[in-house]
Amino acid sequence: MPAVTTEALTKQYGDATALDGLSLSVSEGACYGLLGPNGSGKTTAIEILTGQREPTAGTASVLGVDPVANPIEVRRRIGVLPEREDPPSFLSPREYLRFVADVRGLDDPGDRIATWARRFEFEGVLDSLSGDLSEGERQRVMLAAAFVHEPDLVFIDEPLVNLDPLMQETVTDHLADYCDRGHTLFLSTHFVPVAADLCTEVGIVVDGRLVAAPDPAALDGDTLLETFTAEVEAADGGSDRATAHAGDGGPSPGDPSDGGR
Amino acid sequence: MVREEYRLHADLFGSGRFGAFPLFVTLIVGGGGWLLGQTGVSTGAVIAGVHALVAFFGLQVGTIGLVGRDAMRDVLGDVTLLVFSARTLPITWRRLLATFLLKDLVYYVALFVTPVVVGLAPLVLASGGTVPTVALLWVTVAGTFALGAAASLTLTGLAGRSRLLVVALIGGILAVSVAGVDLVALSPYALVADPRPATALLALGPTVVLAALAPLAFEPGQASGRRVRRVDGDTYDRLAGLFGDDARGSLTARPLLEVARSSGSVWKVAFSLGVLFAVAAFLLDRVAAATTITASPGLAFGALLGLGSFTTYNWVTSLDDPREYLRYPVGGSAVLAGKQRAYLLLTLPTGLAYLALATVWYRPTALALGVVVFPPVAVYVYGLTASLTGLSPNDLLFDTPLFGVFGAGLAVVAVPLLVCALAAGRYPVVAPAFGVTVALLAGVVGVGLTRRSGPRMDARLRQQE
Repeated sequence: MPAVTTEALTKQYGDATALDGLSLSVSEGACYGLLGPNGSGKTTAIEILTGQREPTAGTASVLGVDPVANPIEVRRRIGVLPEREDPPSFLSPREYLRFVADVRGLDDPGDRIATWARRFEFEGVLDSLSGDLSEGERQRVMLAAAFVHEPDLVFIDEPLVNLDPLMQETVTDHLADYCDRGHTLFLSTHFVPVAADLCTEVGIVVDGRLVAAPDPAALDGDTLLETFTAEVEAADGGSDRATAHAGDGGPSPGDPSDGGR
Repeated sequence: MVREEYRLHADLFGSGRFGAFPLFVTLIVGGGGWLLGQTGVSTGAVIAGVHALVAFFGLQVGTIGLVGRDAMRDVLGDVTLLVFSARTLPITWRRLLATFLLKDLVYYVALFVTPVVVGLAPLVLASGGTVPTVALLWVTVAGTFALGAAASLTLTGLAGRSRLLVVALIGGILAVSVAGVDLVALSPYALVADPRPATALLALGPTVVLAALAPLAFEPGQASGRRVRRVDGDTYDRLAGLFGDDARGSLTARPLLEVARSSGSVWKVAFSLGVLFAVAAFLLDRVAAATTITASPGLAFGALLGLGSFTTYNWVTSLDDPREYLRYPVGGSAVLAGKQRAYLLLTLPTGLAYLALATVWYRPTALALGVVVFPPVAVYVYGLTASLTGLSPNDLLFDTPLFGVFGAGLAVVAVPLLVCALAAGRYPVVAPAFGVTVALLAGVVGVGLTRRSGPRMDARLRQQE
């Protein structure tokens, strides 16, 4: 059974179309990368799939549950790391993770918190107010919050944003290991090399539509980037919308992205 | 900055709903003034009441200094305002803050103060006033708003340097007042009765001084400095444990800690309710001085403090983004219940402390009714606000239709309670009994509204554009 499916998923914001009949399928245990330029609908897709937003039309299924009809059950079974979101300013990372553990009904949160703080290397700031931490430290806390209950499926919007190169490697290794253990990962990114290194399945979305689903195993990073650029330009009629980052010469994943729809 | 402020509000509320706000204020003030005139309240008393309410609004606007950049970031996400750009602009932070204050003054005078005065104008003209009288009123009401905003901002800035200094200052002002100095003569309101240049110097001087002091009172470090504050690792566990070792405990402990750790700590709750307590005391004093009515201070304080608990609602909801909770497997009902417990834990002791303070001026038995009336009214205000705004009470500001419904919802409880307070002298049994019944019924309605609000809030957030 696929971990995630969408069928003709559509979302209108007033006159603007964020998703235009998006249909995709993600296998269980896959590391799926949803690639797309700024404003292509990646964030909206994740918000609908995680029960945070209602679609205008279409259907979706996440681990066999309808996120529109039963959002709480979906949220119970998944983890979410939204783009550009910080832990609460006036709670320490330890307190925030305790909060997340409590609302998720986890027993013995102390050990879990210590484990994830060690894994993402923020033990030294566990009792500092989150608002005083660096952006990278806050991103690591948010990653821990998405994984603290060790769910079967995690959605991550731009996983490496704000992280330094060493931490990017640590997080990438963790994500690969997470998929190797049979869990499913749904990444949204416009950083193509991340998808090429990590993902076992890829979908390219432009203007809210899935325009291609190349097999990353059959492509190296450069070829995936070329495919991505070609698909975006074809969908846009040759315009200069393709803003994927090539890694060499382009901006790093630490740069803020569009945060858009 | 004005353009930025306008776009922020227009984006939040829609330009139509937001643009109608000044007209709505004019109609409410005009209608309210006419109604009060019909019931025999003098125009002078209406003008005094308007000044008191505008001062209260100014004080509340000034407390934005308490919220700060962190709350802006947590609530509004990636919205960045110019006032937070000092590090990247060739301009000092103090100058930027001073400009921000000037912008706020211009903005709120245009959108709020001017419509208030326009609404009052027919009443003033019908009572023998002239166009220059109305123009003077515009100056005094705008000045009163500026005085309120500058005073609370200055106190906030000074609190960042020394809380003892703020306590000493407030103590000093109270002592001067008790010693018989007429503080009203040091406010723009003094010009209403005595519009001479000599009076103007005294009446507007403190406002000008405070407006100049406000940007200086803040330490630049508060805007740009980076220090890492550490907290006791067990505090959260202990606090959450008081309410249950599960989601219930955490959903209550989090807003309490956020209020306590943000600028102004729990004192901002005391400050907001204290301002309202002072306004209530001022209005009771005016009623006693201008009429032969013997009002019930217990009912009046209980009702007004309960209604004023809206400010506490603001504090417990202003430090997080309601959309955050959509990531967790909890419904809006559980979130609102947690916030409600935090709200009641903050507002009830504070309001009861003010009722206790009122025993300095009134007999304890006269205030006993307040102890009965205040808690259920506070519960009602929570339910009403939650049902209309979810966790975004700022939506009320400038969203004209929503504000209208909210105002009507408050009036349904406030009007009978205040009428009972005024009638308690003539009907010493029936009026208090009716008032208590209204308050208790309001409390029950408040519980019901809160319970219904969770699913509605979830649906609204998930459908938000």
